[in-house]
Amino acid sequence: MSSISETHMFAEGEWISVTQVCRASQIDVAVVVELAELGLVSPRGAVPDEWQLPARELARIRTAARLMRDLGVNGSGAALAVELLEARRELEVRLRALERCMRGIAGPD
Amino acid sequence: MEYRDYYKTLGVERSASADEIKKVYRRLARKYHPDVSKEANAEEKFKEVQEAYEVLKDPEKRAAYDQLGPGTQSGQDFRPPPDWASGFEFRGRPRRRGSPEADAQFSDFFSSLFGERGGFAEAAAAAHSGRDHHARVDIDLEEAYRGGTRMLELRRPQQTRDGAVELATHQVKVTIPAGIADGQQLRLAGQGEPGHGGEPGDLYLEIHIRPHELYQLDGRDVTVTLPIAPWEAALGASLTVPTLGGPVQMRIPEQSRAGQKLRLRGRGLPGDPPGDEYLQLSIALPPADSPKARAFYEQMRRELPFDPRANLGS
Repeated sequence: MSSISETHMFAEGEWISVTQVCRASQIDVAVVVELAELGLVSPRGAVPDEWQLPARELARIRTAARLMRDLGVNGSGAALAVELLEARRELEVRLRALERCMRGIAGPD
Repeated sequence: MEYRDYYKTLGVERSASADEIKKVYRRLARKYHPDVSKEANAEEKFKEVQEAYEVLKDPEKRAAYDQLGPGTQSGQDFRPPPDWASGFEFRGRPRRRGSPEADAQFSDFFSSLFGERGGFAEAAAAAHSGRDHHARVDIDLEEAYRGGTRMLELRRPQQTRDGAVELATHQVKVTIPAGIADGQQLRLAGQGEPGHGGEPGDLYLEIHIRPHELYQLDGRDVTVTLPIAPWEAALGASLTVPTLGGPVQMRIPEQSRAGQKLRLRGRGLPGDPPGDEYLQLSIALPPADSPKARAFYEQMRRELPFDPRANLGS
């Protein structure tokens, strides 16, 4: 069976509803509230049920949700891990750049 | 289908207590969790551990699994016995719905025993919407630059007319917009799990751009390390340099230094605004591997008043 469907790219600066976030991450609104209190995500809106979140934060919410579900860590632990993982990724990118630069200085061998 | 020894997967005795199993699972899950682990095959190992724990943490499933016989070896060919799961009293509680990623990826061995067709399935599930599915798509930097379309082959469980569940393959055409960033999400509405009396779920794709051997990606900007000769750095030069859109000519200014970054505006990934390309200069030394080259270095030593350690203060 084959089907063709349209894709939607979440643009930079796009907001998605908390309902959609919860569905995509398999979590309750309460968890999003906790992650927001911890500063991991930055929702807008008056009450949690009407919140909207930046689409680019979906990936970190899902990572936090997986860590909470799979490793039994609480919200603070998951938020801390997500931030450290992001920092590690950034350092790895910079390290790769530096290594490349060092290889350039050493010259081809 | 191969028999799986769940006790061996967790590295515990068959007599291990529930508490011990939980402790071991926590340790292994932490070690192999794909989000944090640097171990080789972490994802595969994590799934095996999760599958084993899914069975051994549940007293009913564990008891049923234990009945299969401790004599069977891991990897041995296996068919569930015809009276599988009879004699167990199920409490009729709803089956826990695990994470879709995990559920879908448990082994055939697991599904034949505890999946929809196994004895542990619920008689009639209440009407519900389909779950969202997630997949990761790796693309090359060139594809992120140009954009393009991709046919993805997805397998998802589907109910046949006689009520059995089989994995159906379906193809989805995905449009990757030019200038997509690393980690960006695409949503395909209605392409997740089919609903049972409810809406189907959505399919989310997380785009990952593979590391490139030439370009280092940072947001929409790319950096290339550009080796130049000492005289090009000292005197300036006009060079052909690579960009994602093809080679361009550029000018290296006089008195350039190693590590210095030169910017080619708008030559990174497309977008609004588009990214830039940075050329990070690295000065490559010609080898002193011939009498002529050595003589040339000797001459520089004599005639160039140069102290590379002038700033060390000694």
